[in-house]
Amino acid sequence: MQSSNNIDEQELISKAQKGDRKALADLVKIYEQTVYNFAFKICRNKDRAEHSMQETFLSMVKNIGQFHGKSKLSTWLYTVVSNHCLMLARSQKKFGHTSFDDDEAFIDEKDIADWKVTPGNFTENNELKEILDEAIKKLPQDYRIVFLLRDIEGLSTEETGKITDLSIPAVKSRLHRARAFLRNELNKTFAYERN
Amino acid sequence: MKETKPTCKDVMSHICDNLGEDLNSPKCVAIKEHLDHCDNCKSYFHSVESTIKFYKMYNVEVDDKTHDNLLDFLGLKDQE
Repeated sequence: MQSSNNIDEQELISKAQKGDRKALADLVKIYEQTVYNFAFKICRNKDRAEHSMQETFLSMVKNIGQFHGKSKLSTWLYTVVSNHCLMLARSQKKFGHTSFDDDEAFIDEKDIADWKVTPGNFTENNELKEILDEAIKKLPQDYRIVFLLRDIEGLSTEETGKITDLSIPAVKSRLHRARAFLRNELNKTFAYERN
Repeated sequence: MKETKPTCKDVMSHICDNLGEDLNSPKCVAIKEHLDHCDNCKSYFHSVESTIKFYKMYNVEVDDKTHDNLLDFLGLKDQE
């Protein structure tokens, strides 16, 4: 989550903390796209993503006075989105049933083949979206969040640890399992059959 | 200390751990050497990389209605 200009952002935060509603609206506009996109990638559903985005910015509006700038505003927003999506998932009890206890479980040396599709040769379509959705929905939300923060949003292991309240080894372990699990799920559809 | 060559399983596990991170440690150098000569592990590496790229592909845009709903919800519509 990158702000186009950090100095402007600091100024906006200061103004918002003094009650400037225009500054608050400007902060919302800077981050709404990133927050919505991130929430959608966790929830895989537009209505839930919109709900999470609204709750996240409501929290920002209510608590901006307590923001001391120790972390970036973006880190704070990622934390609120992640917690909100986790809360939603827990209330709906839609965790995957796959066991994630065994580090080695997702790596099968015999199950390796080239893929017939690559991001470079594939056109976006609904079929691919469904395959990606089905795979990531099987991943427990706390693993999903680590994968999205590190690999999709490009945050560091340390930042991801702060947002998810996990130690660095725990972030690495979850990322490892999430990558291997998703790769295996996509492999079922994308791998060439071996003769 | 005795250095042992990594097995395919070590390599695949290491790819999942460290993709995108610093690849200059002695362990990573051994992994890279293995990757250069092992088609199986190369395929695995590319498939993990592709998995990440596929998930980067789909993004949703905030449309006007979603934006208006948000500002309404926050009571900031008059600040447009």
